[in-house]
Amino acid sequence: MLEFLSWLAILWGGLIVTIQLTAATVVLTVLLSAAVAVGGVHPWKVVRIIARGYADLFRSIPLLALLTFVYFGLGSFTAHLGLPALWLAVFALTLSESAYLSENYRAGLEAIPRTQWEDARSLGLKWRQTVILIVLPQAIPPAIPTTLNATIGIIKDSSLASIIAVSEVTLIATQLVSATFLPLQVYLTLGLMYLALIVPLTILSARVERAFSGTSASRGAVPLEPAVPGGAH
Amino acid sequence: MGLKEIVSELLTGGLVTLEVATGAWAVSVTFGLLLAMLREVGVPGMRWPALVTTTALRSVPQLVVLYILYFGLGAVGINVPPLLAAIVGLGITDGAFSAEYYRASLLTVSASQRDAGYSVGLSRVATFRRVVMPQAVPYMVPPWLNSFVGLLKTATLASAVGVPEILYDGSNIIDQTGKIVYVMVIIILIYVVVTMPLARFVGILESRRRTTVGT
Repeated sequence: MLEFLSWLAILWGGLIVTIQLTAATVVLTVLLSAAVAVGGVHPWKVVRIIARGYADLFRSIPLLALLTFVYFGLGSFTAHLGLPALWLAVFALTLSESAYLSENYRAGLEAIPRTQWEDARSLGLKWRQTVILIVLPQAIPPAIPTTLNATIGIIKDSSLASIIAVSEVTLIATQLVSATFLPLQVYLTLGLMYLALIVPLTILSARVERAFSGTSASRGAVPLEPAVPGGAH
Repeated sequence: MGLKEIVSELLTGGLVTLEVATGAWAVSVTFGLLLAMLREVGVPGMRWPALVTTTALRSVPQLVVLYILYFGLGAVGINVPPLLAAIVGLGITDGAFSAEYYRASLLTVSASQRDAGYSVGLSRVATFRRVVMPQAVPYMVPPWLNSFVGLLKTATLASAVGVPEILYDGSNIIDQTGKIVYVMVIIILIYVVVTMPLARFVGILESRRRTTVGT
């Protein structure tokens, strides 16, 4: 029992890094996804092609391959600058997760009826004003549960950062395994820690989702595509 | 090592990736359908175990599940070969997510269909197999394909337990030759060439299903 508590204390340090890694990634991912989503409905074709191409490209690259690439490719460069590997993980995670989240955001933008864009235009609003004043205020609330689900995915995916030597909780657990030779117990403890972190978020996300779907027109429809936290596969 | 050798070496790893993804896909579909049925058909006493399993498998990172299956079980005398650990680990975690889609597909078949099955004397199992499933399958095709595309990508995680899939091979080649960018770009290109058209195809299927079947 005492041993178990000491493990928790050791893993706690890694959990803090996991949370930091997740927080930084979520903030950057939300910003980048919003930009890519708006780019995806931009009146200029070039911008649309770039935005959608980005989403298509990074959704087809496995996250672990991207992490490895960024680590091998930029690792020596950032080490020279004194940046820790954590930032490389944030960079790779953001690139990958944004590709998925931006698609969800874009679907949200496209759910705003076409007529609203036309009405705004006929009132003399410019495209940018339409986006900021008309479209975003309606698109942001339904995007909250999606963003929560993405956060859950990012917490889970951040465990891959252990492969590139970021001392988040999975790496700390692996080090603990080398010290104790008790992989089953240590990794099960690690699994429980992830559960403790993610289950409350899942419940919150389901609640928020229900709160928003109550107002939508799809009420009572068969959920063909229920939103489940997927993360970057 | 020239370009030719590197590519052929990586394609060998690519075949292992395909093996992992296909195996995991079979596990995922079976396990996901089982979970969906347990929740839908309502086997007594199985509701909670199914819910706990689903929650656990959805909340714990796949890498950690692989570590538990491979290193964890290995340490208590249950030696799981790396390939099997990867196939089972990736399969059950993916299945826990897909179960939700399968459940939704099963829900598209109205309850009266099931009642009709019972009223002509079919058993529960026969009704499910002969009446419900055939009508639900068209809705399951897109999630099946999505699962496979996703698993092609998550198969890279198998490298963490020593399965010589494409990324594992790539890291070895990098160690031998030092050609980091070269090797990584080839791996990414292989992935883009394979998964991008597949994902597109699934997208088209999904939007078609929505317009033809409708709701």
